[in-house]
Amino acid sequence: MTRLSRSIGALLVCALFMTLSVAEDTSTFVAPRGPGGKPDLNGTWRAMSRANFDLEAHAAKSAMALREGPIEPVPAKEVVALGTVGAVPAGMGVVVGDKIPYQPKALSKKRENQKNWLALDPEIKCYQPGIPRATYMPYPFQILHNEDALFFAYEYAGAVRNIHLVDPGPAPIDSWMGQSVGTWEGDTLVIVTTGQHDQTWLDRAGNHHSEALRVVERFTPTSSHTMRYEATLEDENIFTRAWTMRMTLYRLVGADAHLQQFNCVPFVEELLYGHLRKNPLE
Amino acid sequence: MKAPGPMHRPGSATIAIALVLGFVLALPAWAEQWQSPQMSWGVPDLQGTWTNATITGLVRFDEIEDLVLTPEAASQLEEGTADFFESIDEVPEGELAAGENVGGYNTFWMDPGRRLARVRGEIRSSLIVEPEDGKLPYSWRGYYRIAKRLWGLRSFDNPETRLLGERCILGFGSTGGPPMLPVLYNNHYQIVQSPGFVMILVEMNHDARIIRIEGERLPGVIRPWLGDSIGHWEGETLVVETTQFNPGQNFRASLRHFIYLSSDAMVTERFTRLSEREILYEFSVDDPTTYNQVWRAEIPMLAADGQIYEYACHEGNYSLTGMLSAERDEE
Repeated sequence: MTRLSRSIGALLVCALFMTLSVAEDTSTFVAPRGPGGKPDLNGTWRAMSRANFDLEAHAAKSAMALREGPIEPVPAKEVVALGTVGAVPAGMGVVVGDKIPYQPKALSKKRENQKNWLALDPEIKCYQPGIPRATYMPYPFQILHNEDALFFAYEYAGAVRNIHLVDPGPAPIDSWMGQSVGTWEGDTLVIVTTGQHDQTWLDRAGNHHSEALRVVERFTPTSSHTMRYEATLEDENIFTRAWTMRMTLYRLVGADAHLQQFNCVPFVEELLYGHLRKNPLE
Repeated sequence: MKAPGPMHRPGSATIAIALVLGFVLALPAWAEQWQSPQMSWGVPDLQGTWTNATITGLVRFDEIEDLVLTPEAASQLEEGTADFFESIDEVPEGELAAGENVGGYNTFWMDPGRRLARVRGEIRSSLIVEPEDGKLPYSWRGYYRIAKRLWGLRSFDNPETRLLGERCILGFGSTGGPPMLPVLYNNHYQIVQSPGFVMILVEMNHDARIIRIEGERLPGVIRPWLGDSIGHWEGETLVVETTQFNPGQNFRASLRHFIYLSSDAMVTERFTRLSEREILYEFSVDDPTTYNQVWRAEIPMLAADGQIYEYACHEGNYSLTGMLSAERDEE
């Protein structure tokens, strides 16, 4: 065996060992204990995936809103001025099994939503994001967690949800953020959310649900600074079966961990009410 | 030895009176000894859902001189308020003539409380305790600011000149504060704590004020709605100092009060848990460009049974569209 081949062999062994070590690290990671001996989830977290653009795998493109061009689709007139800032980065997709299992009619609605994104996406109007979208909006959220309470405060639109640790029974009325009940399965926080109406979307690509949606989220610490996030969605009106999305959540540190305020209501007044000004702007 | 007969046993009424008397006499000592529950990291536990609803106004009525009301005067005021609320629901019979006032909310939509504020056993005629007259000590500049803002409310030319509550940016009347003041409805707050933070969820409009314990101020250019709140513990009391208010939040109006706070005003709040079901909420407002002196108020926050539901205002804001479009139609 030459010296070169020995070196390559050693490198391969090292790489294999490192790979196994990493695998072992994440699977046997024991989260620092927090309230009630459960993993300490206190902190500010953020998804870094491209899920909010489109839960499914997608290539980069020039804009979310497109129109027919002479050669290929080009940005819609309303967003041309944004240039690169309005472009969409590629995403690996977070749907387990790649495609969301829509019923045919629901798939048609998703395509209609996509065509009319500017008019219909609730995010554009600063509406509450709903669950699970709140988790992977491109803004952080803070978890406040102790023995008696569990609360999620989201930067986007100041959305909030109180996680009930004792099931209060069915939600008395449907709402934007629904009603969430949390339990622990080992080191995994399981949150079941029901009672959402059908006005929220799942991403900017027009993926949607009905008021029958039931979301089961699973938050599992995988290192001191990461959590595996899984959300299983059941909706008999929209999907052919339950399906799951999966991504990583990252703990923010230092100045990044400060949850800023993003009250976007005043930011969309021109969009929503500008035409009602005494002197509408040109 | 004479067997004790019925005549020698104290009657049940006597026992009851003795028990009540004993309890009442023991109450102050018991109350003094009450220890606030602690969080696992060693700070007082303020958690829960609380309400500051009360019919005691921020400012004292001109007709009332003293801060503390007699029980008789308090009963009269509480009964009078109850009568007033009942009268709101009285709808005139028959068709309403065109052009007549159709009224506003009935009491189904209102929840201002039914009782006057009780602080340390005193029934209060105003939430303001300083100055002694229970009035807001506006300077001339303060009056000018208020007057200018009120005058501006005549305009429906643009959404930006309307009240924050109408625009669904915050709840109205300083419900979110600070200072957090009781208003006509949705006077609930949820407090959740974590190491280094105290979060106060204001029911209207689902605003989570996250107070950083011993934290550093935000850069001066960042002026959040509800200001920038830094807290610390003084024994059993949470002390929160808030400044760097968003200029849009200077004027805060409700039916019963309106206040003006300049963007650099300093509001100091003190939260002290007095019992399982009460937090004493005290605050002072230091705003020398608006007021002649620092003014202070005290409000009981009582445990609320039940949970806070979503108050999604912006998503269903048909009012602002209605107000602006009605004005355009008039023109």
